[in-house]
Amino acid sequence: MTNTVHSNGHIAIQANNMHVYYGNFRAVKDITLQFPSHQISALIGPSGCGKSTVLRSFNRMNDLVATARVEGEVLYHNHNIYDAGVDPVEVRRHIGMVFQKPNPFPKSIYENVAWGARVNGFKGNMDDLVESALRQAALWDEVKDKLDQSGYSLSGGQQQRLCIARTIAVKPEIILMDEPTSALDPVATLKIEELIQELKKSYTIIIVTHNMQQAARASDYTAFFNMDEDRAGYLEEYNETNELFTNPKNELTEQYITGRFG
Amino acid sequence: MGKLDNQPQRFFQDEDTGYPQGDAIKQQIDVRNRRGLWWRIFFMLALLMAIASLVALLATIVNDAFGYVVVINREDPERLALDVVAMQLLSASNTLTSEDDNELADGVAANPNGIGFFGNAYYQQNRDRLKLVAIDGDLPNEETALSGAYPLVRPLFLYTTADILSNNQAANVFMNYLLTNVNAEIEQVGYLPTSQEDLTFSQRNWIRANANLGLQPGQWAAINPSGILGNFTIAGSSTVYPLTDHMLAAYQAAGYEGVYNNQSVGTTAGIAAFCDGKADIAAASRPIQSGEFEVCRKNGRFPQEFRVGTDALAVVVNAQNDFVTNLTQEELQQVFTIAQTWADVNPAWPDEPIYRFIPGADSGTLDFFTDAVYDARLSDLSKEELARLLATNISVGRGRALEREQRFFENALLFESPDLWNEVCAQPPAARPTGCTAPVRSRDNIYDLLMTEVVKPDVVKTYTLLNSVLNRRAIQAEAAESYPNGDLEFRAWVNRDFVTNAQSSTPELAGVRTAILGSLFVIAVTIIFSFPVGVGAAIYLEEYAADNRLNRLLQTNINNLAGVPSIIYGMLGLAIFVRALESFTSGAAFGEVTDPTTANGRTILSAGLTLGLLILPLLIINAQEALRAVPNSLRQAGLALGATKWQTTWHHVLPVALPGILTGTILAVSRAIGETAPLVVVGASTFIALDPSGPFSKFTTLPIQIYQWTSRPQAEFRNIAAAAILVLLVMLLALNATAVFLRNRYSVRM
Repeated sequence: MTNTVHSNGHIAIQANNMHVYYGNFRAVKDITLQFPSHQISALIGPSGCGKSTVLRSFNRMNDLVATARVEGEVLYHNHNIYDAGVDPVEVRRHIGMVFQKPNPFPKSIYENVAWGARVNGFKGNMDDLVESALRQAALWDEVKDKLDQSGYSLSGGQQQRLCIARTIAVKPEIILMDEPTSALDPVATLKIEELIQELKKSYTIIIVTHNMQQAARASDYTAFFNMDEDRAGYLEEYNETNELFTNPKNELTEQYITGRFG
Repeated sequence: MGKLDNQPQRFFQDEDTGYPQGDAIKQQIDVRNRRGLWWRIFFMLALLMAIASLVALLATIVNDAFGYVVVINREDPERLALDVVAMQLLSASNTLTSEDDNELADGVAANPNGIGFFGNAYYQQNRDRLKLVAIDGDLPNEETALSGAYPLVRPLFLYTTADILSNNQAANVFMNYLLTNVNAEIEQVGYLPTSQEDLTFSQRNWIRANANLGLQPGQWAAINPSGILGNFTIAGSSTVYPLTDHMLAAYQAAGYEGVYNNQSVGTTAGIAAFCDGKADIAAASRPIQSGEFEVCRKNGRFPQEFRVGTDALAVVVNAQNDFVTNLTQEELQQVFTIAQTWADVNPAWPDEPIYRFIPGADSGTLDFFTDAVYDARLSDLSKEELARLLATNISVGRGRALEREQRFFENALLFESPDLWNEVCAQPPAARPTGCTAPVRSRDNIYDLLMTEVVKPDVVKTYTLLNSVLNRRAIQAEAAESYPNGDLEFRAWVNRDFVTNAQSSTPELAGVRTAILGSLFVIAVTIIFSFPVGVGAAIYLEEYAADNRLNRLLQTNINNLAGVPSIIYGMLGLAIFVRALESFTSGAAFGEVTDPTTANGRTILSAGLTLGLLILPLLIINAQEALRAVPNSLRQAGLALGATKWQTTWHHVLPVALPGILTGTILAVSRAIGETAPLVVVGASTFIALDPSGPFSKFTTLPIQIYQWTSRPQAEFRNIAAAAILVLLVMLLALNATAVFLRNRYSVRM
C-alpha cells in the first residue's frame, strides 16, 4: 500500500493519520495521504466509504456538521488546518469547493462571481476579475452578454461552470470537487472534464467521483477507499491513475475497478 | 409474457398472484375511488360552510353599516350657515332694516341710490315710485315663477293645528273660506296663485281636521261664514300679511261677526307666538324649521301646513336709477354684502354708495332671500364665523366652560371677561383650567363643537340595508307619518366623515380617526420592536445556536408561548411596561411629558411593546420556518468561498428567507391589529378625542373602539360599530396588500 506519491516533489495538502467521527461513529479511520500540487487526484470507492467526508475534511466543511470531529492532522503549507487558532474561513478561502449539485446564488451571474471576491476584501478591478474567472471556467463567451441575468437562468452544466468560476475568483490554491458532474448530462460532463484538465495548470484539484471511467479519464492520481466491517472508511490503495487501473496492487481494488462490487 | 400481443386475455386471467383478478380489479378500484369521493365531498362541504359563514358575517356587518336613517337636527346646519350670511347682510354698510315692508318701499323710493327687496305685493302698491330689477334676465311674473326661471319665488304658508280647527269655529271657517277663495283673490294683492295640486293637498288637511263632515279626500265643501261668531289671532310674516288681511276683510264682508287680530311680526316671531299658544294661526313666508317644529310639539301643538299662495320676491331700485336693470346672481350677492359702491359691483356703474333697504332679522323674507341667493354651507365657513355662530347659539355658561377647556382665539376671549380670565389663570397650575395653557381650538374643533352643541343631529330611527332595499316605500311612509320634521336619508355609516372625524359621544358625529391613528401608531411600535427582535432570535436559533439543552429549552418555551392567551400578555404588559418601566414608557425619562398624570405608563409605547411581546413567538417560529426552508447548499456555497457565517447569512440566507419571513410577519401583525383584550388590560383609553401625537400619548385602537361601541345600548352605536369593523377590515387588507407587494418586490427568484 502506497500513500506517498512524488511527481514533482510539491505536496499541496496532506493528511496524516486522520480519523473523522460523527458523534461516536467513526466514519473514516487512519487516512494518510499526500496530494501533489497542480495535479488532478480522484477519490473513488463504494457508497458510504467516506470519500466525501475525507474531501470535506480538507477545507473544514465538516465543521458545519455539529457532531463532526477530526483527529490527526491535515497539513497545508506545513500547518495543521485543525490547529486551534486556525480560522476555517481562511482555510476555505485557500481551499475552495465545488459541490455535487450546481448551487449558484440567487443573484446575477456577475454577482455570483464577484461576491466571494468582495466579501474577502478584493481590492483590484472587479470587472476584470469576473471576466478572467469566467474565461478560465470556459463560460465567458456564453454569458458575456447577460451578466446581469440570474444565475438560475443558465443550464445545469453552465451553472456548474459558474460555480467553478466563482471558486476561481477568490484565487484558491486547491479546488475540491465533490462529484461535480453527477447531476449533469454526458455533454455537460465532458465539458467540465475538459475544463478540469485546463484548470490543473493553475490549481491543485481533488475530485470525488462515482464514475470510474471519469477517474481513469480525467485524473492523474487515484485513491481507492473501502469500508471496513465496522463501517469506517479507510484508504485501500493510492497510486498514479494509470498504475492503479492497469496494475492494481490490491485484490479489492482490482475487484472494484473491474466492477465486481461497489 | 413475450407473446402478450397474441394473447391479451392472459393479462387479466393470471394465475394467483395475491392480487384481485378479472372483474374484481375494477370493483376494487371503484371502492377506492368512492372512498376518495366521500372525503372530497366532506372537504368541499367544510369549505362551503366556512365561506358561507364568512359571507354571512360580512353581510351582517354591511347590513348594519348602510341603510335609511331618520335624522332630526335641533338646528338645520344650512340654516345656521345662512344665518351667517344674514348677519353679513344686516351688518353691511348703509343698510336700513325694517320688519315693515312699507318702510322699505318708502326708503328705496326716497333714495336715488337705494336698492331693496320685499314681497311682490309691496312693489305692486308702489310701482310708480320703484323700478323692478330683472335677475339673470327674468322679471317676476306668473310664467317665470311657475317655470322656475325667476329664482326668488317662494311659497306662502299658514300653520295651525287640527285641535285648533275643531275647537275654534271662527278660525276653522276662515281656513275653509280662504282655501275656497284664495286663488281667485290673490292676484289682487299682488301675489301668484298656488298650483291646484298644492291647494288640494291643503284642503285635504282641513278635511282631516273636520272628519265629522264626512267629506272624502278630493271633495270640497264651502261653508257660509254668515253669522259665525268667535275671535281668533293670526301672527307672522309681513309678506303674508296683505293676503291674510285681504282675505279677512272678505271673510267679514261675507258675514263673519267675530273679532280677528292679524299681526305682522315676521315669520320667526309668528311661529314662536303660535307655538307658545299666543296665536291660532301662524303666517309664514318659509316652511317651518325642524327646531321650531320640535318646540311646537313639546307644547302640545302639532303644526299642519297649508300652502296658500306664491310670492315672487321683488328686487327694486329707485325709479330714477337708470343703470341697474338686470343683476346676475353673483352681482346680487355682492350688492347686499361686500360692495360699498355701485362701481364695486360693476365698473361701468357710478361710484356712489349703495343704500340698502332689507327686511329685519326676524323676517322670513330675509331668510328666504339668503337661502335663494347665497350658497352657504357650514363646512365652508371660516373659524371666526363658526365661533360667532357658536357664540350666538349656546348659553354663555356653556361657552365659558368650553373656553376654559380650550380657548377659541389666541388674542381674544369669546365668552369670558378678560379680568376674570387673568384672575383664574393666575392660580397655581393644578387649580387653573386647561384653557390657560392648552393650544387654541382649531377651526375643525369649533366646527365639531357647533355640530355637537348646536346642530345636535339625532338619528331617531335606523333601518337595516336589507330593510331599506326591500321596503323602501313602507319606510318612506312610516318616516313621513312618524317623523314629519325629520329627514329621511340613505346613510352609509362608513363614509369620509366617519373616517376623518374624531371620537365623539354622539354616534351621529363620532368618527374613527383617533382610533385609526392609535392603531397605526401602536402597530408601528409593535413592528419596530418585534420584527428585528423576532428575526434576530430566529437567526440565532437557526443559524448559530448549538444543539444543546439550553437552546432546546428556549425553543420549547417559544413554541409554548405562541399558545398563551393574549390576556396574559396584557397582564405582563401592565406589570412590566405600565408599572415597572413607567418612567420609560410614559416618556418622563426623556422629559417628554409635562404632566405625568395624564397617561402614566398607559401609552402607545406600552401598548405597542405588549403587542410586540404577544406576536414575538409567532414571528420567531415563522421566521425559523422560513430560514429552515433555505437550502443548505446555499450556506455551503457561501462558506466554501471563504465568507464568514454572518456574510453568508446576511447576503444569501436572509434574502431567500425574506418572503417567508414577511408572510409570517403579515400573519402576526394582522393578529396584533385585531387584538383587544391585552390592550384593555394595558389601559386603552375609553374615550379620547385628541389624536395621538407620539409614542407617549394615550391611545385607543379600532378594535377597542368597536368593542366599546357594541356594548352601548343605543341602536346607532351598533351602526357605527359595523362601520368601524368595515374600516378595520379595509385597514387590514391594505396593510396586507402592502406587505404582499413588498414581498413580491423583494423576493428572490430561485
